[in-house]
Amino acid sequence: MNTFVLTSEQEMLRDGLQRFLDNRYDLATSRAAVKTGGGWQPAIWRAMAEDLGLLGATLPESAGGTGGGSTELMIIAEALGRSLVVEPYVDTAVLGAGLLHRGGGPRAREVLEGIVAGTALTAFAGAEGAGFEVVATTARREHGGWVLHGAKPVVTTAPLATHLLVTARTGGSPEGVSLFLLDFDATDPPPRSTVHRLRTVDDRVAADLVFDGVRLPADALLGTEGAAAPIVAAAVDDATAAVCAEAVGCMRRVLADTVDYTRQRTQFGQPISRFQVLQHRMVDMYLEVEQAAAATSLAMLSLDAPVPERTRAVSAAKATISRAARFVGQNAVQLHGGMGMTEELAVGHYFKRLTAIEYEFGSTSSHLARYASLTDPRAVTTSGGPP
Amino acid sequence: MELGWSESDLAFRDEVREFLDRELTPELRRAGRLMTSVYADHEASMEWQRILHARGWAAPAWPVEYGGCDWSLTQHYIFSRESILAGAPSLSPMGIRMVAHAIMGYGTDEQKEYFLPRILTGEVFFCQGYSEPESGSDLASLSMAAVRDGDDLVLQGSKIWTTHAGEANWMFALVRTTRSDRNQRGITFLLVDMTTPGITVRPLVMTSGEKVQNQVFFDRVRVPVANVLGEIDDGWTVAKYLLVFERGGGAVAPALQVKAAALAEHASTQPGPDGRPLLDDPSFAARLAEARVRADVLEVLEYRALAVLEAGGNPGPASSMLKILGTELSQRISELVLEAAGPHGRVYQPHATAPGGPVTDYEAPPDGYLSGEEWQAVAPLFYLNNRAGSIYAGSNEIQRNILAKAVLGL
Repeated sequence: MNTFVLTSEQEMLRDGLQRFLDNRYDLATSRAAVKTGGGWQPAIWRAMAEDLGLLGATLPESAGGTGGGSTELMIIAEALGRSLVVEPYVDTAVLGAGLLHRGGGPRAREVLEGIVAGTALTAFAGAEGAGFEVVATTARREHGGWVLHGAKPVVTTAPLATHLLVTARTGGSPEGVSLFLLDFDATDPPPRSTVHRLRTVDDRVAADLVFDGVRLPADALLGTEGAAAPIVAAAVDDATAAVCAEAVGCMRRVLADTVDYTRQRTQFGQPISRFQVLQHRMVDMYLEVEQAAAATSLAMLSLDAPVPERTRAVSAAKATISRAARFVGQNAVQLHGGMGMTEELAVGHYFKRLTAIEYEFGSTSSHLARYASLTDPRAVTTSGGPP
Repeated sequence: MELGWSESDLAFRDEVREFLDRELTPELRRAGRLMTSVYADHEASMEWQRILHARGWAAPAWPVEYGGCDWSLTQHYIFSRESILAGAPSLSPMGIRMVAHAIMGYGTDEQKEYFLPRILTGEVFFCQGYSEPESGSDLASLSMAAVRDGDDLVLQGSKIWTTHAGEANWMFALVRTTRSDRNQRGITFLLVDMTTPGITVRPLVMTSGEKVQNQVFFDRVRVPVANVLGEIDDGWTVAKYLLVFERGGGAVAPALQVKAAALAEHASTQPGPDGRPLLDDPSFAARLAEARVRADVLEVLEYRALAVLEAGGNPGPASSMLKILGTELSQRISELVLEAAGPHGRVYQPHATAPGGPVTDYEAPPDGYLSGEEWQAVAPLFYLNNRAGSIYAGSNEIQRNILAKAVLGL
């Protein structure tokens, strides 16, 4: 394991990105973009694509990327977390690109090029209120195309997306999940669909989508019919690991802010950082952050490993991250006192993002359940696939 | 729980139930059900106070001569509990439950005559001016200056975490009249007309978007010396006296039991990660059961404190224990509600709720569209606001210090 030593290129990526975000990414401006603006800052996205080359940094060269790996992914996501970036890096450049790249085909290739160039944005309409595997939406063949029925709640990034990636059942068997690629414009949704635009508590844009007989061309199908489940699982694991790294960036920042605040805040004639009970609390926060970072690097290293190893490491990371995000976020607010409850300091905004991350791509308990079944001695076989 | 309630207690409970059944309109129950913090929607809260006042029950804990009820503490507890079970919106505690007692204990006849009847009707609505930007946990270090000038005190400085400062027409404040070696000396308890020139209110936007908290600035604000409650420089005594009335007769556990029971209902239909009802997830079911056990146990502890009070004793540091356990259990339940809300719990939709104040930078969908159900829309706001529980009214760290000293003798 040599992830802890970065190559000079990786150091340049990290430092360049950090410099860019420090200079260009302002917390208040980015919140306003979501609350009262269009939901994002297109100029930032353009710079991420063109100046920093971020959007293709972790894609193979065959897919138009620059061939970086999970270390690059970790560096990028952690930096974005540290600056609380709301632009949809994980949704589009990790999850969307991961699905397209794995799905393959000429249409996917075209959209991937758009993602790398910063002109295409994707949203993944996968989950339906439970895990990604639980799909009730259906697509049936009709007149040489497909007809889509179903509902996908709280699809993040959908209002900004130029393309949707939608999972739907195409066969009667429980395995028969297929992946579809749709051109999309939330302001002019396809006939027989409804789009309810939403804002999340952590200042992202999302939408409730309903498909009530939406017609798709034959080539909307991505990859092989009925074979989307492993593709989705792999891309979601990538995205989960990326969100874990984002959380590490968020947590490092709120821990630093909390330590600073307790040093400055004086009560009973001394900085409150002198009180041992608060020192121990901050040490416990630190212990959570370090475990979260360690679990994340293990997950990142395992993304290309055999499926059981990958899923086990990703679930271990997400369970650890969710626990840490709750503890670190809640205690950062507690130690900031009333000010931590307001929108006036950064900590409140980070707390909301950490709260969303707790549940994004599965809660602690769902990942613990997956980990438990993967490590059940009665179930582990030589092939050892996930349930 | 109906531990040791007598026949007459049960008859009283039935009378209260019958009243609540009749008087609580669906709108009022909705305001109670959708509270995102300890504060209900202001309008609903005042409306409920008017209805209670008409029945003579707006301020049951007051002495009968001022409009209170001749109830035993058990009856007070029953009344609080039944109100919560029925989904009544809460009343602001600042006037009826707090400053009124200080006025009865330390006010002049003129002060009592003016304020008490108006607090009952809601014509006078108080906010509390205690905390300052540099004085929170260490309240006695407060420094907002009040300098004597003829028959007035002239105020200069600011107060913070002033709930409902925008709605209130009066404030009860602790101000610094004299600097002394002991911080507690030289503080004065003052009633301030919020329409006095020189007062400005700046709303503080909370993470939930609600603007129920404020910072209040005082710039050469002249307040008649006649508005001092108790003696000048001896306001700390009044403030300590007031604290006694925050104890006892309260019923936090029933509110948490109601929340947890509603959560169990929702979790029995809401899908969990594997698509089956969340309540079939053994981990979630166990965590919910644990929270409900804690609520049952908290009710016994509240009841025990009540018994001490009823016997004429002082539950003392038990109030610190109840504050810690009540707020931390409420936080735990808010976590479970948010988890159960699933993806809808991540959506910001305050238009579904009746929050304690207006929200900022938010435009409700024109058709009132809701992602998920009402309870899911309330879940994130309830979660965010619940974090204040371990901070306000003496942080839980301060309460633990009190218990360490007062109970364990450390």
